[in-house]
Amino acid sequence: MHRFIIAAALLLTACSGNLERGIVIEDADPAPALAFTAADGQRFDLAAERGKVVMLYFGYTHCPDVCPTTLSDWARAKRALGADTTNIRFVFVSMDPDRDTPDLALKYARQFDPAFIGLTGSTQELEDLKKRWSIAAYPEGDPRDGFYTVAHPAHTFVVDRQGRLRVMFEPGVTGEELAKDLRKLQ
Amino acid sequence: MKNSQRIFASCSSLLVAALVGAACAPKDAAPVVNALEARDAWARPADSGAMSAVYFTLGNGGTESDTLIGVASDVAARTEMHVSMQQGRTMHMSQVTSLPLPANDSVSFRPLGAHVMLMDLRRPLVPGDSLSVTLSFHSGRTVEVRASVRQP
Repeated sequence: MHRFIIAAALLLTACSGNLERGIVIEDADPAPALAFTAADGQRFDLAAERGKVVMLYFGYTHCPDVCPTTLSDWARAKRALGADTTNIRFVFVSMDPDRDTPDLALKYARQFDPAFIGLTGSTQELEDLKKRWSIAAYPEGDPRDGFYTVAHPAHTFVVDRQGRLRVMFEPGVTGEELAKDLRKLQ
Repeated sequence: MKNSQRIFASCSSLLVAALVGAACAPKDAAPVVNALEARDAWARPADSGAMSAVYFTLGNGGTESDTLIGVASDVAARTEMHVSMQQGRTMHMSQVTSLPLPANDSVSFRPLGAHVMLMDLRRPLVPGDSLSVTLSFHSGRTVEVRASVRQP
């Protein structure tokens, strides 16, 4: 009996975190809905990803600094994990419906790793997504000249294997740090 | 003066003379006064028509401060100086039109901070490739930055 309790306690410690850089959300709620069809015809539905850890980033493909920094760090983490990534999904969602298409979003994500998923939707779909996820994303500067930037969430969101929005990573967390935390989460 | 003191005194003057000589002697290389220099420059790979960013460390080895007021590159339709900023949970990017560079100091253009933004690329940037960016300063000086294209 004692042995069982110790084993259960150890398991709880292992599951509940001690993450290196991940911000753990206690009493995490189920992640809001997120479903899009990618340019290659593959449907991505977050609800169907139970049992997998899903990394999510809401950005835009004309983003020259923060988004590529984040996706490069993801790619580095994936390489560090080696073959150990079959239960992790890396998903980039473009929040710039005026310039981005599913095709551009997918090409952009695959630049960093061929297994990365790139998605986007219509203006209305993205507006609904922002409300469900309580996130901000909007053009800044003058949208008329085509060179505007897009304010977007800074963090990577992590949905755990039970489908809960459980962890957030600040921008600038290195691939090696991400890999350590993903080992604990998967 | 004892002999030993005399020897010490003459040695000291020699030492002082040597130090002064070293300080005043002209260097073989060009004078470093007010030298502006960009080091370790790199740019992100990107497709034609897309955007990229250039990063480097900009040093001012001189005794006078200067201000970076312009960036230009022929690989992009438009080239601007930008800074990424996190405000709460949201990430923003703002254009910067002048960036002070104090004397004997350096500033870093690095991911998640200041960067030269290349907008609407005229050609694809592939790893191994290189490109130039011209930096213009308030003093009228310009610095040519040669950046290699690579993943971070």
